[in-house]
Amino acid sequence: MQRILFFLICLIIGSSFRVWKPYESLSAIKLLTSKVNFEVGSEVTLKFATSDTLKPLLYCTNSYGATLVAPLLESNRLTYNIPQNIANKIGVVHWKLLQNEGVPSGTFTMYPKSEVATMETYIGPPSISAGGIDYTMLVVIPTDSLDNPMPVHTLVKAKHQFLDLEKNDTIYTKNLIAYKNIYSKIESGRMLVSSESLGTNSKEFTVDVSAAIPTNFNISVKRPHDYADGNQITTFTTSVIRDKQGNVVSEGTFVTFFIKNSKGNVLKTSGITISGVATAKMIHPDYEDYWTIKAYVRGMAESNVLHINYKQVIKDFKVSFSKNNRVIQVGPLQSFMQQLIPDGLQVTLKVYKDSTLVETQSSTSYKGFVDFKLKPFVFENGNYTLRIETAGRVKSFKSKNLW
Amino acid sequence: MVGLNRNIVRAILLVSYVLLVALIISGISALIGYLNTGADRSKMLHTEVRKVVQYLPKVVWKPLKNEGRPMDMENLNGFQKDYLDAWYVRHMAYKTNLKVGIKDYYTDNARVQLYDFIAQNKAQNITIESTTLKHSPSLEFFSEDGQLIVITDKNVVEYKRVLKAEKLVLETTEMSTYKIAFLLEDGFWRIRHLVKEVSEDFRCDVKTVTTNALSIKGINYYPQATPWDMFGDAFSKDIVSKDFKIIKDAGLNSIRVFVPYDLFSKADVDAPSFERLQQTLDIAAKHDLKVVLTLFDFYGDYSVLDWTLNQRYIEKVVSKFKDHSALLAWDIKNEPNLDFESRGKDLVIAWLTKMLEYVKMLDTMHSVTIGWSDTKSATILKDMVDFVSFHYYEDLEALDSEIKRLKKEVPNKPLVLQEFGLSSYTGFWNPFGFSDQDQANYHKKVQGIIARNDLPYMSWTLYDFVNVPTKVVGMLPWRKNAQKRFGFIDENGIKKAAFTHISK
Repeated sequence: MQRILFFLICLIIGSSFRVWKPYESLSAIKLLTSKVNFEVGSEVTLKFATSDTLKPLLYCTNSYGATLVAPLLESNRLTYNIPQNIANKIGVVHWKLLQNEGVPSGTFTMYPKSEVATMETYIGPPSISAGGIDYTMLVVIPTDSLDNPMPVHTLVKAKHQFLDLEKNDTIYTKNLIAYKNIYSKIESGRMLVSSESLGTNSKEFTVDVSAAIPTNFNISVKRPHDYADGNQITTFTTSVIRDKQGNVVSEGTFVTFFIKNSKGNVLKTSGITISGVATAKMIHPDYEDYWTIKAYVRGMAESNVLHINYKQVIKDFKVSFSKNNRVIQVGPLQSFMQQLIPDGLQVTLKVYKDSTLVETQSSTSYKGFVDFKLKPFVFENGNYTLRIETAGRVKSFKSKNLW
Repeated sequence: MVGLNRNIVRAILLVSYVLLVALIISGISALIGYLNTGADRSKMLHTEVRKVVQYLPKVVWKPLKNEGRPMDMENLNGFQKDYLDAWYVRHMAYKTNLKVGIKDYYTDNARVQLYDFIAQNKAQNITIESTTLKHSPSLEFFSEDGQLIVITDKNVVEYKRVLKAEKLVLETTEMSTYKIAFLLEDGFWRIRHLVKEVSEDFRCDVKTVTTNALSIKGINYYPQATPWDMFGDAFSKDIVSKDFKIIKDAGLNSIRVFVPYDLFSKADVDAPSFERLQQTLDIAAKHDLKVVLTLFDFYGDYSVLDWTLNQRYIEKVVSKFKDHSALLAWDIKNEPNLDFESRGKDLVIAWLTKMLEYVKMLDTMHSVTIGWSDTKSATILKDMVDFVSFHYYEDLEALDSEIKRLKKEVPNKPLVLQEFGLSSYTGFWNPFGFSDQDQANYHKKVQGIIARNDLPYMSWTLYDFVNVPTKVVGMLPWRKNAQKRFGFIDENGIKKAAFTHISK
């Protein structure tokens, strides 16, 4: 009986040890590595002391992802080699040992190499306007050879050259980047920008400094003669358009000329600048007219107002009727030197029956004459009023009998 | 004979010529087709509208005080969309170990990092199911030309399930702070530099809402004509009001109502379905009835990448109704243990934990429970719920002892018998089923056990139903027909024998 009791006690003690043992061994896994900061690219190993033969996996996660690492077990020592892709990137690495009880976990930090391999540079906008108000922004991310941004407060020199000015500004990294606003000067031209950190230089970047918005300008007019012959061309020209600093505006600045005639109609013509000068053209009117001209660079600048006159060329014209008054010939139409007017002058015939307009015919002159025909099946025999208009002049024939 | 042979040769020549031409033409057209793929302009410019919302973690921006160019909402929204997509493709990549979509949201240099992890995990058969549940980004820098952004995303709550050889080895929730630089490339905001600055384990402290005065005498409620579709277009205030009066007059004080996931997760808070739930609660308040709202009805996905959408559903429902006077408690999900087998027990429990935490975070006043389908599962997450709910459709002989066992296992929290009942269906599909009298005896007996144990209860259900949707119990007619006859009131509106024992 006593033996059995003794045996039972032994069994109970023995089995309780069996229960205890794994718990004790697991909680006995202890981190040996005390270093918590590593330079990127170095070999990172975590070592644990263990009294067991279990080989738990190690979970570790960095900025970009997570993975599991299997250990090497040598003489009660677990060694975890952190994968190189994790050891190559800066930031916090969070690790956990995968076991059931009392998970040992922790973090270590990877810091960048103290050298700059690449000056990752962004500059924009690439084109700014002169005058000292507009600016471009240089953003630099100095990175080490493993593409890691430098720590906060790394010195970066932002350099730029413009005309005879060379400038060197000191800036510091913050939020992974360093940046500098570079303002334009009074003059237009090209600005060269570069940067440097820890002895490594970026390549050269170019920023175009174009003239600022144009200021008001003058216009002039040029024409072969001042007759309203509907044939010659009047040319409008701007003075050299400049910004307020005196820089010639960008090539291709769009200038619109608005022409108001004596009837109050608005004609529009436009041109773009070449070396600051824009030209635009308009055909002469074919009747006596008075033009008021003003040019605009839309929303930015305007010109002075110009007035010009066009003189009447056709003082009078003949109208002859034939073939039962059904053929009407207008002409000869003669210009300022009594020469026949160039082809293309518009002549309009309006036919009224009992003072209501029944027909309007338009035609252009050919060799100084225009012919109209009133066909019998359109115009029945009877009395009509005929009105002929050309070059701003009107002739009326009342109660003309067609038969 | 010679003529015949010649004709055969001719025919063969002709046919082979036609075949050759057909082959060449199809080859050329296939080549042209191939060369034209990807040249679709609308696709090149990424102008296609993506309709499916698949990832919606909670994002709360810090006030905009960035350096550089001032930010506007239009740009910020576009940026946020790309930023969240970057997380989404990353979760997908580590879940599947495929590179799909990464190149759209990570620059050349950054995507290599992800590819390294994918290759490593693929080789070791590791997959990681992860999601982020909360972001608090602050905009640090926006470049003058609008091409570069730096943000600090503080305290990102990341949940991960690490699987090796398809076996769960680690479940972890971390809270990390990231500093991230983005470049605008091809119309995408792509991650250029990503630096995790702080990372620690995240724990959500759940405070128990004490529910000492839990004296639920209730019933599970669906309108008779629209069971399992209470908040659809057939909703009628009058019917609900009439039914609630019956319930109140029968001596009950509470009801359990189900909030379907599909209907409420897709709708805005001012949509008709929300309005109908509001009216239901108003009517309940009028009749002095308390309401247990069971969330996630007919939801069964649980996958980690769905959690952000689940939380938006919770957010809408809970924030809208948490201050309603009729509200008694939130029930996270009806019978989630039935999904243990198909979805994985650990996944379902992880899901329940996260959803419960979220409900408790939004509403600290009301108690939260889970409607377990049996007494065996009832103790799961007993430390997190405010009262333990279980359903009982098994043998009544064991009920008393099961209650005693549960009371022993959960000594400090109330127990609620949240569903019980008996179908009075006897017919073609079950000729030896129970009669109305059997049902009445059943309820009498249960009420006895309830009274002895002083147990809060909610019976199943007020009405016999004419139609039971297939999604409830499946296609099988013997199950469907049984499900129709659990009510205290039959399909003609006449109170069945069991009605006497609805509350006593």
